[in-house]
Amino acid sequence: MTSRTRYFVIASLLVLTVGLGTGLVAYYVGVPGTFLVDRDGPAELQYVPRDTAIVAYAEVREIMTSDVHQKFRHAVPLRGDAQAQFQDQTGINIESDIDRVVASLQPLADGTTAGLVIARGRFDEVRIEALMREHGAHVEEYNGKRVIVNNEVPQQAGDTMALTFLEPGLVAVGSGRAVRAAIELQKGGENVTSNPELMNLMRSLDRGNAWAIGRIDALRTNGRLPPQIANQLPAITWFSVSSRIDSDISGTLRADARDDEAANNLRDVVRGFLALAKIQAGNRPELQTLVQSLQLSGTGKSVALSFSIPGAVLDSFGATRESAEKPPAH
Amino acid sequence: MLWSRRSVFLGLVVGGPVVLAATLRLAELSGLLFDPRRPRPAGVVVYGMMIWLIYVRFLVPVLGVFYGTSLIADEVDDKTLTYLFTRPIQRSAVIIGKYLAYLVCTILLLLPSVVIVFFLVVPLGQGATIGAMFPTLLTDLGMLAFGLAAYGAVFAFVGARLKRPLVVGLLFALGWEPAVLIAPGYLKRATVAYYLQALVRHEMPQDSPASTLMQIFREIPPVSTSLIGLAVIVGLGLWLAGRTVEVREYVLEQ
Repeated sequence: MTSRTRYFVIASLLVLTVGLGTGLVAYYVGVPGTFLVDRDGPAELQYVPRDTAIVAYAEVREIMTSDVHQKFRHAVPLRGDAQAQFQDQTGINIESDIDRVVASLQPLADGTTAGLVIARGRFDEVRIEALMREHGAHVEEYNGKRVIVNNEVPQQAGDTMALTFLEPGLVAVGSGRAVRAAIELQKGGENVTSNPELMNLMRSLDRGNAWAIGRIDALRTNGRLPPQIANQLPAITWFSVSSRIDSDISGTLRADARDDEAANNLRDVVRGFLALAKIQAGNRPELQTLVQSLQLSGTGKSVALSFSIPGAVLDSFGATRESAEKPPAH
Repeated sequence: MLWSRRSVFLGLVVGGPVVLAATLRLAELSGLLFDPRRPRPAGVVVYGMMIWLIYVRFLVPVLGVFYGTSLIADEVDDKTLTYLFTRPIQRSAVIIGKYLAYLVCTILLLLPSVVIVFFLVVPLGQGATIGAMFPTLLTDLGMLAFGLAAYGAVFAFVGARLKRPLVVGLLFALGWEPAVLIAPGYLKRATVAYYLQALVRHEMPQDSPASTLMQIFREIPPVSTSLIGLAVIVGLGLWLAGRTVEVREYVLEQ
């Protein structure tokens, strides 16, 4: 063996050994794949219970000021101005007061669920409390926090709608049980960041400015999904959606199946739908860009579908709506 | 074998994906290539595409063709085959030994490239963690090693049997196999790619009409069938190559 060959063999084996060794350590110990990025998610996750089934996040301010939101409002105008109605009842202006939101849904042992929305922004606590009192709410003390409880808003049996300010500029609103649990978590206890499955999935997302992660099997077991839907769903354990909304919408839908075979079946189904969508979009030029952007990917048990909705598509929907609403020319 | 002009060329080809992966990584770090307001391409997807398009469809067959066909053909061209055949060993042992040397060389050439590409590309775009994807890397390395072994055995036989093995090998790997794979029917079972591609855990990219057709007519045999198929190809290829070398009279042109 010449010295050149020896060096080649040593260098190759070194790369393989170091690479596989590092991978092995990362597999068992957990080494982040990227650096200098927020891999643990928003700080508000500390108020979300560990066994939550769905977690979602949105940078509301960024989305509300995006081109897509303006175009969407133009294309699909909200009837009855629900946003103004919400502001009248709570004193919160979604567009200007809220910066970001974390929402969660926790399945409970009695078969019900507890929903929670945690919003960070600029809130007038006195005005919000006064407005809610006007609408029939009352104030309770819980672990040193003022909890505004409204029994008149319809909730699940044995539960109420509640609101509290966890920190200055951080409001928690949702089912009474979830709000109280958030207050307890402020003092300590296991929150969703100690749920390794969910956090690993969240770290693997290209999170953009809106994302959601959910555990389908928890909802299915809990009976929260109608049996007609639950029976039709393939063996999916986790799903996630991540998107970036600015001048257009792009993102990825991902589902983790129970095993490789289930994932292959799901890929086949999605592939069939994609083919159908491509045929359907043939005579709809405004949809062709969207359909062409759909890209199926994923390895092993994971199935991913990336998409991109250009702002022009929303423009064309707006134009279609306007032309439909215009009275025919005589 | 390792320091021929062919190896230098193939070394550059195998280095190509590493350069591409390093460029992507630098582009992401510097923010030159990707718009920071938009999601960057997910590293796992890019890595899967590179495994499919560069390694499985191109590098593995090409390495097999270039090295496999040269095992005997180079000795004939250099007129050095006589020296090997005068050794007190079976002729088939010569080609088996050369095949094993081919396997070690190509594995040491290709697999480190895949490992480097994996570490450079997977972390792109806040993608999956290195740890989560590590089992996929191991599967890829095993799959590529099986591919090199199968293609090497086939082309060792082609090199031992035919006079212009390189042309036939390239036609087989880059013409026959892709063409048969997009056609319906059982003919695809007469390819190495049919068994090899079933071991790829990444989603096949939809980069061209040919890929779309390939997906439509794609049959995915079970992993056990693929492994048995590849093992049969290796065994049969080596047996045929050994048998050919045993019985064939090589005429060395003066």
